[in-house]
Amino acid sequence: MHTPHRFRLAWRLLLRDWRAGELRILFAALVIAVGATSAIGFFTDRLQQAMAGQSAELLGADLILQSPRPVAAAWIAQAESLGLRRDEVLTFPSMVMHGPGMQLAGIKAVGAHYPLRGALRISDTPYGEERNAEGSPPPGEAWVEARLLPLLDMAVGDSLSLGDRELKVTRLIAFEPGNGGNLAALAPRVLISRADVEAAGILGPGSRVTLHYLFAGEADALVRYKAWLTPQLEPSHRLIDVREGRPTVGAALERAERYLGLASLAAVLLAGVAIAMGARRYSERHFDVSAMLRCLGASQGDILALYLPQLLLLGLLGSGLGVVLGAAAQGGLFLLLQELLPARLPPPGPLPALLGLLTGLVVLAGFALPPILRLRQVPALRVLRRELTPLPLRAWLVYGAALGAMTLLMGRYTGSATLTLSVLGGAAAALLLLAVLAWLLLRASRGLRHGAGVAWRYGLNNLWRRPWSGAGQILAFGLTLMAMALIALLRNDLLSTWQSQLPERAPNHFVVNVLPDEVARFEEFLRRQNIESAQLYPLVRGRLSAVNGVPVEQVLAPGDDGGGAVNRELNLTWSDTLQEDNAIVAGRWWTAQDAGQPLISLEAKLAERLGAGLGDTLRFTFGGSELEAQVASLRTVKWDSFRPNFFVIFPPGVLDAQPATWMTSLYAAPSQRAAMAQMARDFPAVTVIDLERLMAQVRRIMEQVTLAVEYVLIFVLLAGFAVLYAALQASLDERLYEGALLRTLGASRYQLRAGHLAEYALLGALAGVFAAAGSELIAWQLYTRVFQLEYAFKWPLWLLLPPIGALLIGAAGYWGTRRVVQRSPLVVLRTL
Amino acid sequence: MTGTIVTAEAVGKQVDIHGGSLTILQDVSFTVAAGESLAIVGVSGSGKSTLIGLLAGLDLPSSGRITLAGEELNALDEDGRARLRGQKVGFVFQTFQLLPGLTALENVMLPLELAGHADAAARAGQLMQRVGLEQRLDHYPKQLSGGEQQRVAIARAFATHPAVLFADEPTGNLDARTGGRIIDLLFELNAEQGTTLILVTHDDKLAGRCGRRLHLDAGRVVADEQSQ
Ligand SMILES: Nc1ncnc2c1ncn2[C@@H]1O[C@H](COP(=O)(O)OP(=O)(O)OP(=O)(O)O)[C@@H](O)[C@H]1O
Ligand SMILES: [Mg+2]
Repeated sequence: MHTPHRFRLAWRLLLRDWRAGELRILFAALVIAVGATSAIGFFTDRLQQAMAGQSAELLGADLILQSPRPVAAAWIAQAESLGLRRDEVLTFPSMVMHGPGMQLAGIKAVGAHYPLRGALRISDTPYGEERNAEGSPPPGEAWVEARLLPLLDMAVGDSLSLGDRELKVTRLIAFEPGNGGNLAALAPRVLISRADVEAAGILGPGSRVTLHYLFAGEADALVRYKAWLTPQLEPSHRLIDVREGRPTVGAALERAERYLGLASLAAVLLAGVAIAMGARRYSERHFDVSAMLRCLGASQGDILALYLPQLLLLGLLGSGLGVVLGAAAQGGLFLLLQELLPARLPPPGPLPALLGLLTGLVVLAGFALPPILRLRQVPALRVLRRELTPLPLRAWLVYGAALGAMTLLMGRYTGSATLTLSVLGGAAAALLLLAVLAWLLLRASRGLRHGAGVAWRYGLNNLWRRPWSGAGQILAFGLTLMAMALIALLRNDLLSTWQSQLPERAPNHFVVNVLPDEVARFEEFLRRQNIESAQLYPLVRGRLSAVNGVPVEQVLAPGDDGGGAVNRELNLTWSDTLQEDNAIVAGRWWTAQDAGQPLISLEAKLAERLGAGLGDTLRFTFGGSELEAQVASLRTVKWDSFRPNFFVIFPPGVLDAQPATWMTSLYAAPSQRAAMAQMARDFPAVTVIDLERLMAQVRRIMEQVTLAVEYVLIFVLLAGFAVLYAALQASLDERLYEGALLRTLGASRYQLRAGHLAEYALLGALAGVFAAAGSELIAWQLYTRVFQLEYAFKWPLWLLLPPIGALLIGAAGYWGTRRVVQRSPLVVLRTL
Repeated sequence: MTGTIVTAEAVGKQVDIHGGSLTILQDVSFTVAAGESLAIVGVSGSGKSTLIGLLAGLDLPSSGRITLAGEELNALDEDGRARLRGQKVGFVFQTFQLLPGLTALENVMLPLELAGHADAAARAGQLMQRVGLEQRLDHYPKQLSGGEQQRVAIARAFATHPAVLFADEPTGNLDARTGGRIIDLLFELNAEQGTTLILVTHDDKLAGRCGRRLHLDAGRVVADEQSQ
């Protein structure tokens, strides 16, 4: 056949099939699959950019390089050649003085461009009205934290001296990018211009200065710079990007991204199943046409040349529409979230659109190609003997193609071949197992036959007569229910995890440096002011020096600083009760008898890095003295809980001889600002660290993510319904025929309808059992391996899914087969 | 046109069913000269459709040889036989077998397009006129009566000027009067184009109009009678 003819014919056939509604389900499923992935693609793309932007605002830059010494000029030159904006910041501790007063302060000397991202928030009076600062402190001025004022008995407008330099305090710092929630910065902040550092003449050779190189710019320039820089870093260097800068948000974000990716995969898989069923039906309904074409002289190649362009065209049109839908859905979501999101959001990039198109073609190739290829093999003799069909598809071809497509797509989401293969391999094995289970379930359900009326028996017989096709339907419905259940399950658990992480009245201030003789008075103050707080913990500074007598430097792998727990002062504490969100994973928490014993409870991850287990001895140094203590228990700690948390906890009575200050976290409502100001006046030594802004940011991000997660559910549900519809359509022709026959033989409409209801309700119930088993299996894997969530047996699944399946699929089946009794048997028998 | 167009030599057909084997055709031999008209008759189940399917190269015999338009079918593969069908063979079926997705005109164009004719539409239009359906070009098969559909099928069968036209009970689904008109049309076109006509029928009147009748019974040729 000549090519232009071929395309014209292909086009005509496609158009005709379209008008006849033959392609509806195929097309709809494709649009859903592509719509879901590209909506999620667009959405995460923009959300990532937006959230990275917000995190960058907290950090004051997109990327920070910390170093104790100036870095090579080439590093700076490289950043500049990549077009990154930059600034340099120095931080160091130093004494500041006002009149007779003296106080250790954390000096931060910034350049003219600081901050590169976000804004400094300042106020003119302590805890007064906040506003964005324009620029940074000019030379000769100092902007300070409000808590410094009572410590030095000074007011805004006074001058403080730093080395040789007199600096006038002009503003109070309310929020400082790059310092959100940093507990190490216990000394109050004094922000000055870098020009004043040299003038003050205080940075001698031995001073403890840290240089922070701030960078900001285009995402790909940053990625390239990071990739270039990372291999050259020395152990003393630290590279902080927006993710690392915000561990709390980072973890939530990562989970959310995984969830979104997974949900879109579920949507794609479901849509794929629907496409496969739609394509199968399409193929079967084109056996006659293919046979006729073969009879008229078309070669097998001609048949393919006729149908493949149709498939490609369908794929392009469906994917194109899917991308448009995805973009619209994504746009709608951002419109909904306008309040939450930054005013100016980067437009979606072209990449998700491209990937959406690609996804559509891959899904179509994986799920629709095998049945279409089958058309090539329709025997020409079918024109004389209608019962002749091409050889059934090889199972390996069908599942192989689908698995291949899913591997391809999943590989893109996970970015890891091993993870993809292990997940899909496991899933394939589980599917096989479950198929057998479905078959067995079907066999077992035959017991229902006894005592069933004729209508029911007719319906149920449909299932038992062809147990494998019944098992296939259970698989399809079960998969649908399972995907929906899983996504819903995960959503709930993710949301409750996030919510429990940041409950409504989560602590929003840390209070440190409560002096021992002030503890009672401080607790009394909190009570009087009605401020909720955690327990007060003593804080003893000590260094971990040896494990079982071996110096700690030799215990750790080279370059490992024990997550910041080693080589610098550790915050040690004692307590007789275990924090609520800590959990003992080995050993036991102490009892009253253990008081005064040299025991410790060690954080589990640090223990692992130190190679220390129960019974091992750790040595601590405190100024002049030393102390050895035995590991009595290992604990997990929720570091992102905004509560005081410790690597090492002693029982009461061991550290009594060491100098200690006390700390806690507390929740102060906005209406309690005055009380907080009062606290600063009543307890001049106490340092209050305000986490409110940070937490507000975290909450906002979580809210965004939550909405996104719920939005995605819609797509999964849509895809699920597409499967339902496709599955119903798939057997409709046969059912129409059977129904017509039965009616000519005298079956009543009622009997037929009851039979259909029975059949689909049973299918649904069995699919529900199947889905419960599958969800349990997969959820357990996902929770423990992908989402790092705790997994508990989900018994409600087993209770809910079978009746939901029976109801949903029973109703859908009942509705979907209504045509069987609507049309006159004569019409049906004639047109089939 | 002279010479043989179809030859069957000791053709047999068996199919495997439920472990056993069923013989449908056995030792069928005959030749058909170009331009001849042959009716294959016999009771239901005697193997008529099977034989016509084999002659047209829709299937291969289990034993024996069939030659169609000078080509031995056993020596051709599926696609080779398809090509041969496209060039030499036309079909008319009991159940019309029009493509529901194409209009009447497009159905007639189909074999022409498959064969790569440049003026498919014009030629198909002429044929539609010839069968008296020039008013119905853009109608879909569903919108046509049974007799009209069969006329379209006949137009399609003659579109490529086939050397042989096979028809399996072309009037089986039509009332006697409509069937008679269809037969008239079939023979008119047959005469115009000098086509060889091989048809299966239960209709004695139709069989009587053919130059020759091959009687099948239980898969064997029991009589081969020539009209005077
Ligand atoms: N592939 C097959 N498998 C099993 N049986 C077959 C097959 N092909 C044909 N038969 C059987 O061979 C016999 C002859 O069939 P065929 O269709 O050729 O008969 P026929 O003469 O055309 O009958 P009718 O006049 O009813 O159309 C029938 O009994 C039929 O069931
Ligand atoms: Mg027959």
